[in-house]
Amino acid sequence: MIKHQEQVKKWKLATEKSMQRFPERKERFETSSKFEVSRLYGADREDYDIEKLGLPGEYPYTRGIQPTMYRARYWTMRQYAGFGSAEETNKRFRYLLKQGQTGLSVAFDLPTQIGYDSDHSMSKGEVGKVGVAIDSLEDMEALLREIPLDQVSTSMTINAPASVLLAMYIVVAEKQGISPEKISGTIQNDILKEYIARGTYIFPPKPSMRLITDIFAYCKEQVPKWNTISISGYHIREAGANAVQELAFTIANGKAYVDAAIEAGLNIDDFAPRLAFFFNAHNQFFEEVAKFRAARRIWAKLMKDTYGAQNPKSWQLRFHTQTGGSTLTAQQPDNNIVRVTLQALAAVMGGTQSLHTNSRDEALALPTEDSARIALRTQQIIAHESGVADTVDPLAGSYYVEHLTDHMEEEVGKYLEKIESLGGAVAAVEQGYMQREIHHTAYETQKAIEKGEEIIVGMNSFTLENEVRPELLRVDPTLGEKQKEKLTKLRNTRDQNRASARLEALRQGAKGTENLMPLIVDCVRDYCTIGEICGILREEFGEYAGV
Amino acid sequence: MNKKIRVLVAKPGLDGHDRGALVISQALRDYGMEVIYTGLRQTPQQIVAAAVQEDVDAIGLSCLSGAHNELFPEVMALLKERGADDIIVIAGGVIPWEDIPFLESAGVQKIFTPGTPTIETAKFIEAAVRARDGLPASTGMEAPKKIDHIGIAVESLDEVLPFYVNTLGLKLEAIEEVPSQKVKVAFIKIGESRLELLEPLSDESPIRQFITKRGQGVHHVALGVEGISERIGELKQAGIKMIQEEPVKGAGGASIAFIHPSSTHKVLLELCDKTELEGGAS
Repeated sequence: MIKHQEQVKKWKLATEKSMQRFPERKERFETSSKFEVSRLYGADREDYDIEKLGLPGEYPYTRGIQPTMYRARYWTMRQYAGFGSAEETNKRFRYLLKQGQTGLSVAFDLPTQIGYDSDHSMSKGEVGKVGVAIDSLEDMEALLREIPLDQVSTSMTINAPASVLLAMYIVVAEKQGISPEKISGTIQNDILKEYIARGTYIFPPKPSMRLITDIFAYCKEQVPKWNTISISGYHIREAGANAVQELAFTIANGKAYVDAAIEAGLNIDDFAPRLAFFFNAHNQFFEEVAKFRAARRIWAKLMKDTYGAQNPKSWQLRFHTQTGGSTLTAQQPDNNIVRVTLQALAAVMGGTQSLHTNSRDEALALPTEDSARIALRTQQIIAHESGVADTVDPLAGSYYVEHLTDHMEEEVGKYLEKIESLGGAVAAVEQGYMQREIHHTAYETQKAIEKGEEIIVGMNSFTLENEVRPELLRVDPTLGEKQKEKLTKLRNTRDQNRASARLEALRQGAKGTENLMPLIVDCVRDYCTIGEICGILREEFGEYAGV
Repeated sequence: MNKKIRVLVAKPGLDGHDRGALVISQALRDYGMEVIYTGLRQTPQQIVAAAVQEDVDAIGLSCLSGAHNELFPEVMALLKERGADDIIVIAGGVIPWEDIPFLESAGVQKIFTPGTPTIETAKFIEAAVRARDGLPASTGMEAPKKIDHIGIAVESLDEVLPFYVNTLGLKLEAIEEVPSQKVKVAFIKIGESRLELLEPLSDESPIRQFITKRGQGVHHVALGVEGISERIGELKQAGIKMIQEEPVKGAGGASIAFIHPSSTHKVLLELCDKTELEGGAS
């Protein structure tokens, strides 16, 4: 009798039981040759390393966070969208919901992400360009009009002003008659990677960390179904990091948020189950799969062993994945469909909870509707036609994949030690450590590509003389003006005294130590704009100037 | 005059994607330029003020947010206002093809689309700045990789070889006749280079003429290069006179060309490309 047989037996029973509540997609899974496909392979073997791999849905979660994974439910196909005005984006959202999509993912324009109103001088040329422009509650109401907020989950890519956008979402729900404990969604809210890689920071690290832990504490009480942060390696990778750097820096940032929340007096099991992650799916297929598997194991050990979390939900690393934008080429853009397919497959083999597949034309502009549809179809083909989702963690036990997974864990450990020796992630960011590491890798990659040591098909090899230039999407260039008019009207029609009083209360709160979320909710309810709210906080907190 | 070209790399607009800006900054530095990087979120006013204050030759604008059609022309207009429109402006980022004519008509000299090798951008800036300053298009060629060999003119191989092989203890690689030059050549390996001993086979041989005029001794130095045709092109652009304007076959099957001594302060220099023979990077 093999040592871990008892454990496997217990797992089988528990899984059968949980399947009564979460049934699998089919009674029997089979290949084209009618071979039956089992839920799980390998665990009955004598040499199965149960310490390292665990069982699906069990610590340390190397094989996934659910016992049946995609046999019960596919990953969420969550395509990031949004551009132009709130009204336009609302139309798109309602169309998507009608097509059966249950999750929304909102892209905001850069002025919104950096806390400027559309009529600020810094917003010139940027309004509505890379996402939807939101200045006040009025725009948020338009964005979410006729969308039942108790039935959809909404992911918002917003960081420095995450509190403001979350507050707006809460108030819109309130106006729909839906109480905050019924709404669900995610805010990115990951400021550290903004300093490291993405660049849409506003305030210095310390007050930024306070805003984040304020959100943790507020949501624990008021909005319990909200994922309060999405700790993101995606942008670190896009900035040029390699796989191990992506994972190491993300985990290091995750630790920093956990430390900050504990220091702010929160209990780990009160916020850890609401932490989510966001990774990149890049070109090297097996390395990416190993990265996702290692990520789960590293985080589980960290939360259980280092931080002493008791709730298994605190140990589970849940993540969203997006295929690697910077791997797309402007040359022969249809080739990008193939790249995205391989990357998406790696994400699925790695056990992602949700996935965004990029469109083929994103090296050139925002995606056209045709390109966006192909991107979604890519996921659907992987899910419904390839059969890869019919058994749990199918690459487990591959000598290569297990080696890569172990090695990834070791190398991440080295980086974590290094960052610890610098004083943790916040200190390392302030010293520019991660930024330098990433830049070094980015430059080495560029040189390798230019020397032809690294082949990019269609770009530095297999090129075409006369490329056909595809149709691209354009954003309404008059939107900036329209948004400005809207703001002027708002400022003339709202109760100015109330708005001013709310902003003053926020200022006083920012000077002290109280939780700022309720004050921000009050501000947005009385139609203070994002620029006004962030303006007050800029005055009180100062601005981050870069390293 | 060998002043370094100064370039301001700037990020107008609000997007935080500075991977491209950082990589191009480093690449231009490695090419030999002085580069000032502005950091994120620069207004056109800030960019132009920095360019004027730093007295740069060129500005590289990087924008990935889609705001280029508003921001780039504003930079151009402000440069003009400040009387600084002799500064060369180039740009890159996520810029759709169809916007390029508009931006170029606004005065941006060139838009580099994703995938452009950094060396191409560096060369473009160099050529544009030199053209503006009325200088030849290029300062020179991509640097040679090594001394491929040193050519030594001798009366008789039989007489000198014992010294090199027995006394110095070097290894004789091969002896070969090169009919085009009417010489017999002995190759002696030394580290990554060689000595090439040249014995004239007839009175018309250039080596015979050399010995008659100057006596035995060092005849030429051969510089190992890659991509000899492009290197010759670069030298010609820099105003250098070549003896062979196209590469010819030399000893050992290498592609070679001599630079005219009038351009080299009287040293006979040979460009020697063995990339194809050795299967090196192309």
